[in-house]
Amino acid sequence: MTDHKTSLRLSRRSLLAGSAALTVASFSGISAFAQDAQAGGDIVFLINSLGDTWIPNNSAISSFQGHIWGHVTDKLVYVDADGAASPWLAESWEQNDSATEFTLRLKNGVTFSDTTPLDAAAVVANLDIWYAGRTEDGINPIGLFPKTYDHAEAVDALTVKVVFKAPTLGFIPTLGYHGSILISPKTLETPATEQADLSKSFGSGPYVVDSWKEGDFVKLVKRDDYNWGPAAVGHTGPAFLDSITYKLVAEQSLRVAAVQAGQADIGYNASPQELQSLQEEGFVVATPRYLGFVNGWAINTKIAPYDDVKVRQALQVALNRQEIIDTVYTPDWKLATSFIQSNVPGATDHSALLAHDAAKAEALLDEAGWIKGADGLRAKDGVPLSLTLHSNPYLATAKAVDELIAQQLGRIGWKVEIRAYDVVTFGEKVRYAGEGIPAYEVTRSFIDAGTVAGILTDANKGENWFNLGESDARINDLRDKIAGAGSLEVRAPLLDELQAYVLEQGYFIPRTQIVQRIYVQSPAVKGVVYNGVAYASYYTATKASA
Amino acid sequence: MRNAYLNYAGKRLLQAAVVVLLAYVFTFLVVSILPGDPITSILHDPQNAFTMEQIEEIIQAQGLNDPIAVQLWHALSGFVSGDLGLSMRSSRPVATLIAEVLPSTLILASSALAVALALAGLIAYGSQFLPRRFGQGFVRSLPSLFLSVPNFVIGLVLIHLFGFQLGLFMVIDPNSFWATVFAAIALGIPISAQIAEVLVANLDNESAQEYAAVARARGLRQSPLFFRHFLKPSALPVVTVVALMVGEVLGGALITETVFGRTGIGNLVQRSVVTQDLPVLQAVVSLAAVVFVLVNLIADLVYPLLDPRVKILGAVAVRASASTSETPSPTVTA
Amino acid sequence: MTISFTSTLSRKRLRAPFVAWGIPPSVALSFLILTLVIGWSLTPSLFSSHDPFVGIPADKLQAPSLAHWFGTDQLGRDLYARVVHGTASSVSSALIAVVIGLFVGGLIGLLAGFLGGWVDIIFARLVDVLLAIPSFLLAVIVVTALGFDTINAAIATGVSAVAVFARVMRSEVIKTRQATFVEASFLSGGSRWHILLRHVLPNASRSVLPLAVLRFGLSILVIAGLAFLGYGDPPPASDWGLLISIGKDYMKWPWLIYAPAVAIIATVLSLNRISRWLRKTD
Repeated sequence: MTDHKTSLRLSRRSLLAGSAALTVASFSGISAFAQDAQAGGDIVFLINSLGDTWIPNNSAISSFQGHIWGHVTDKLVYVDADGAASPWLAESWEQNDSATEFTLRLKNGVTFSDTTPLDAAAVVANLDIWYAGRTEDGINPIGLFPKTYDHAEAVDALTVKVVFKAPTLGFIPTLGYHGSILISPKTLETPATEQADLSKSFGSGPYVVDSWKEGDFVKLVKRDDYNWGPAAVGHTGPAFLDSITYKLVAEQSLRVAAVQAGQADIGYNASPQELQSLQEEGFVVATPRYLGFVNGWAINTKIAPYDDVKVRQALQVALNRQEIIDTVYTPDWKLATSFIQSNVPGATDHSALLAHDAAKAEALLDEAGWIKGADGLRAKDGVPLSLTLHSNPYLATAKAVDELIAQQLGRIGWKVEIRAYDVVTFGEKVRYAGEGIPAYEVTRSFIDAGTVAGILTDANKGENWFNLGESDARINDLRDKIAGAGSLEVRAPLLDELQAYVLEQGYFIPRTQIVQRIYVQSPAVKGVVYNGVAYASYYTATKASA
Repeated sequence: MRNAYLNYAGKRLLQAAVVVLLAYVFTFLVVSILPGDPITSILHDPQNAFTMEQIEEIIQAQGLNDPIAVQLWHALSGFVSGDLGLSMRSSRPVATLIAEVLPSTLILASSALAVALALAGLIAYGSQFLPRRFGQGFVRSLPSLFLSVPNFVIGLVLIHLFGFQLGLFMVIDPNSFWATVFAAIALGIPISAQIAEVLVANLDNESAQEYAAVARARGLRQSPLFFRHFLKPSALPVVTVVALMVGEVLGGALITETVFGRTGIGNLVQRSVVTQDLPVLQAVVSLAAVVFVLVNLIADLVYPLLDPRVKILGAVAVRASASTSETPSPTVTA
Repeated sequence: MTISFTSTLSRKRLRAPFVAWGIPPSVALSFLILTLVIGWSLTPSLFSSHDPFVGIPADKLQAPSLAHWFGTDQLGRDLYARVVHGTASSVSSALIAVVIGLFVGGLIGLLAGFLGGWVDIIFARLVDVLLAIPSFLLAVIVVTALGFDTINAAIATGVSAVAVFARVMRSEVIKTRQATFVEASFLSGGSRWHILLRHVLPNASRSVLPLAVLRFGLSILVIAGLAFLGYGDPPPASDWGLLISIGKDYMKWPWLIYAPAVAIIATVLSLNRISRWLRKTD
């Protein structure tokens, strides 16, 4: 599948005639179940929140509303769990040599559920609002949409030309990102207060909203005339299940218990502690990884003592990552092998740099002048060695991992202070490279590894995660080469070099590969597909009648 | 007399309006202290990957940077003309949000009050007629116990016992009959304790009176004695306590609704608090204040009906003494 | 207010030693529990040999046993040690809440009752507003404004109790002011401050003290409720309410909820009992 994607990047200007190889490959597995699949059935999905707003632009990337949007809307491109992009509503695309102009050819006969046709004009309207939003009206832009966007135009009813101000290699994968959902242009014209009413937003997906109540539930019913599913999932006709009900149950233990009691089919975000016993009871546990950064810290290299490379390197090997997985998680979680998830195309294995070695950590700290005192705590010039952690509120297990790390570092005389904020306060106070934030806990998905270039420094409005500015020449050099890379072949070794360097320098301290979405599912439900951002799709799912 | 009554009623209404308005302003000021709001919070979501400059731009475009006084003026002028504004979190009208969840809370609150009254009645009955050695002491200690158990613990235990072990209700359908009953029990138990305390104290008082002894001597059976001679005179302080409890039911609903997963006002508050959704919080606080003020007004008007000794104008004095000096505990609830 | 909390059984058995001092056995038991709680909060390490923050991950989620009286939690920490070490924060935060309620509320009530006139009218409106907002809702809103941690939850709880203290204090002050001996003191030319400190305050405090004790127990509940909703300290703090709130995520291991719940209930029950006893003996 990676091969397919490679060809996508390599063959500039070449017309992509679908993804035949991919389709055949996945069809062999799926056609079997499609035949004996019983249509019909209703499932109940217990979710811990239904998020804040339903304005499509403001909610599409949410871990919660994203589930609903994934069934109610379609995208132009499909990105699977391995990061391979394949055609969906865009049947094919081509781009110019400088990657500044793209032409998308759309599938014919697609309509939104309000009967508006999904044509070139509709796609242009969506691209425009993704890029700019309508901020004065409370509609945000889509954060990861390329900021190099210039404009898009409808060449004919089914052809869209998209123009960028600068080379934008990541454009096609971005179309498969969860933010890039296609909404009826009629909906997009309405004011924010109307878009906030979920029943007034129309997509072209295999399900439509039947009813909903804020903070309570969303019920989706199948759209019978749906006939344009992504070929990559092996089924393009109407969905099998009649309805999906997303029901809010805030208590984690209640969601699981309800699935166990047969009161619901899927429980979202269970406690990892419970997964093993659930599996033993015969429940299906899914811990799909999204494409993106691993869970770990971006270290602020301007804050003492983390301005000392030895201290950062000590931290890198002081963590016992295996113990984190054994204690807080289950074997379903994977050790970090880099600072990007191992399923991202371009990620390389640097496990050796991340192996636990307390003795080495102590030696590094001694070298750096942090000497153990009588109380077992390390200090230098009277200043104790300490690390302040801000538990990331977007990851349910963040606090438990922090506590365990506090124990691990405590053993070698490193004092850890944990601060936990709610989502609002966290957003206000905790930033990458922020003042008083020595380590920012990262939870961020992306579609294309090229994104990495944008976080390293502050050049070109970069996010400057490590507070390096332009101070590290080697980073600057790698950044420019990666951003300007013309093909995956050129980029791959650069990415490998970057990963090794960032980890060696202790700029990024990985904890574990991240699983932000955990599903506990009744064995009666089969055929669930997880996409590149780890959302479960029940489009191809069936439910055995009991 | 009639004029005096109207005067009194008018004054009370005006006072009530002032209280509600002040509650609205109070909430605004308190919540405005801390930076942060739902809109900015969405912008800060790391998945969005907005840069600080982008965030600034969007905040500017939406007028979130206006001075506090200007914002308060906008909110207040809307409130006075009956417009509760838009939720910052969901961009939907606050009035719609409240209308959606109000029925659920009303059902829960009224069932909880019913449970509380029934329980309090049982405790009161037991406190008078159970044998002194067996049961009476236990029954009399129940209110204390009820007041010492955190109400989320009661809720969690009920859910586990009756929802999961006995399968009496589906946890994912919190609006079903049994789920509502158990939520009402969880919410009603602490409330019942406070009503029971007042009731028992009054009953003890009544039963020490001469006429009770006379009635007993005449061979009047327990129940008629309880209902006719004890309960009726005790109704007055009970009405006072219940009126004061109404606000507490709303406060308690915050936890109970969260535990049972009900979508009511308490749940709406919880969702709005974590995102600092100011317009919704202001509206809910004002609503609570309106309810509190109205219920107490009604309690005042009900007084003369329950006890002919109380004349309308005397009601205030009686209530004040009933709620502060005689029974300090009812006003001090969790 | 003549509610006896004793069971008939315990009254019989424990009667002898306390009757002489006029202390009912149940009150003695309550004092005993509170002594233990105070001991836990002052010198927790005397009562538990385990480390409350560092556990043995391999021993996670063990049921109560001789080695771990209350079992172990999800990170293999001894729950008994966590409950004992969480006492200080649970108790001191409730204390802060009561002190705030008592001082701010008491002062408002005292001034309003003693000075009367405009002061009384303004304070009465303020108290009305605070009373009209359900106290738990008020606490939640105040803690939102202050930020989520235990001290702020304590302050919020204190603020929500201000109105109650103010009301009781005011009515007590007015009652005392009108008493004959105060009138007499006025007539004999006593200064306002002298009267306030000498007569009004001591008299009023007699009924405010039991209220403060009762409020102390209730504050523990309110702060636990706030922690339960997520407005308390972050881990590894082990306030009782926080422990329950963590425990609810692990309901398959119910001791994680029951152990801290029993600590709360026993403490609050004891405080309630003592408050009643104070009120009755007065």
